[in-house]
Amino acid sequence: MTARDEDKGRRTLAALAELARGSVPPPTQAELDGGLRAVHAAQLQAGRTRRRTSTILQVSLAGALVAASYFGGRVVLSQRARPPAAPAALAYRVEGGSVVDGGYLRESGRGGIKLFFAEGTEFILMPGTRSRLRDVGASGARIAIEHGTASFKVTPSPDRRWQVDVGPFLVTVKGTAFTVSWDAATEKFELKLQHGRVTVSGPVTGGEIALRDGQRLLVDLPQGEATISDQKPEAAIEPPAARAAAKQAPSSSSSSASKAESERRWALALAAGHLDRILEEAERAGVKTTLDHASSDDLLALADAARYRRRMDLARDALLAERRRFPDSPRALDAAFLLGRVEEASDRGLARAVEWYDEYLTRAPTGTYASEALGRKMTLTSKLEGASRARPIAEDYLRRFPGGTYAGPARAFVRAP
Amino acid sequence: MHRPHAPVSLVVAPDPRDLSDPELAHALMAGRAWAISETWHRFAPPVIMLARRALGSEAEADDVAQEVFQRVFAKARTLRAPDRLRSFIFSFAIRVLKTELRARRARAWLSFHQPETLVEFRAQAGGAPIDMESRDLLRRFYGLLDRLAPRHRLVFVLRHLESMTLEEAAAHMELSLSTVKRLLERATAKLSRWVESDPGLAGFLDGARWRR
Repeated sequence: MTARDEDKGRRTLAALAELARGSVPPPTQAELDGGLRAVHAAQLQAGRTRRRTSTILQVSLAGALVAASYFGGRVVLSQRARPPAAPAALAYRVEGGSVVDGGYLRESGRGGIKLFFAEGTEFILMPGTRSRLRDVGASGARIAIEHGTASFKVTPSPDRRWQVDVGPFLVTVKGTAFTVSWDAATEKFELKLQHGRVTVSGPVTGGEIALRDGQRLLVDLPQGEATISDQKPEAAIEPPAARAAAKQAPSSSSSSASKAESERRWALALAAGHLDRILEEAERAGVKTTLDHASSDDLLALADAARYRRRMDLARDALLAERRRFPDSPRALDAAFLLGRVEEASDRGLARAVEWYDEYLTRAPTGTYASEALGRKMTLTSKLEGASRARPIAEDYLRRFPGGTYAGPARAFVRAP
Repeated sequence: MHRPHAPVSLVVAPDPRDLSDPELAHALMAGRAWAISETWHRFAPPVIMLARRALGSEAEADDVAQEVFQRVFAKARTLRAPDRLRSFIFSFAIRVLKTELRARRARAWLSFHQPETLVEFRAQAGGAPIDMESRDLLRRFYGLLDRLAPRHRLVFVLRHLESMTLEEAAAHMELSLSTVKRLLERATAKLSRWVESDPGLAGFLDGARWRR
């Protein structure tokens, strides 16, 4: 290896170290709380074990002293307590294939693979699906679908956690039945939820999307589009008792909490996947009235619901209202980015979308959506003005977000002759 | 008979978050229950981040962090210098990580199959998910780290992934500065050679146009 090669190797190594440094997420509050609970539990267990060991030692010591005095030998005692046994992982069996190195599932025939867990959960992988069983623990399992289609029937349990990596998306399962597919070539993701609840996070989704009974989520990654549609009519949203309670005048002690909740009512409905309810309520109250009086949270929720239902005019109006009425809020910046997304979906809106992304990048160069905005700008510039004009944007993207979602396409623009 | 009253005053307990590290250390050594929670919330995030970067796995890192703090709390009374609570905790973290890395190597040696290097990060620091290309690069990078001896790996991680100074790395590893320099140079030289001979990694710099 020449000195030049070694120098290049060192620079590549530094870049990889930087990628690794930036790829590690900080622990969430829930993870910290869970960790502290585990430490407390272990301390408690260790205390019990120590007490038990101490009693055994006292008895053993007496016996040992008698023996030592009898044999004249030396006795060495170890005080080390045996650590508590870890809970056993869930038992499961595989039909139609086997688990090989790295957790990959290898099909033995042409009928797909089925995994049956002892507590009743079933994974069914369609023929040709490439998948990997990443982890099976006492409290659930995590499987990655790299390509293909799989169905899941998960037995509901608050103590278990099931996760499915589907391409770049993560589906967190709450106890449900659903089918998910990922086409690695076209980068299209689809999830059909038969019943129960799941949340999906990943690129394009802009945070977690909660899906409920009968909904279908379709994500077209190259187009940057996520669409939620109903497979069956929307069910009743909240029990009559809850609605009746909501109608009652709030007590003085809970008025501020009720007010805060009321200002976020659509944000909460959006999180629960009640898209049609949001749109119906906005229309019932009058769109103009809603745009003039809804809270900042609700305007963004309305915009999201309208986007997911492909009602782009309403989404645009809600986002413009957000920017007009709350110009100094961070959400007004988010609205600029989302307006770009809305314009992308409309005919001849690509140039306007680029303008909105520019507005967002100027005002929030390190904002939540900066990577996405720059990536979309690169893609649209290529469509509008050709790949050569997209190249400097791609270089800028790679400099700022070397591990970002659009790093692959950006490298392709940079490498293009 | 009239008994004199002892003077009574209302004492407001201090907010643990306002305490300095040495004050927290004293409370921990005195066995105050709240000090355990405060120590965890103050120091667990950097320990978890260190473990995640060192191991390339969130799940294993979380287990390591719990093990570290169990040991810290069990040995808190042995802390001789309360102003060095952070170093005290990190020295436990390094020891537990070293043990974990040695165990991994032993498992790999005992196994008939070479275990695949798994990189399990659900999202980047900014919340964006890691794309597949980056995951592949990280998997290869951690595969190379797996080939290093635990001491070399930890010195490299402390210096280049945790951005510690050589002096800090030496203090946490409980090694001399010259030893740390020597270990780091060996680790970097080995990794650079391996990177250049890995076709999946050698082109990374060209593709990313990475600039320092």
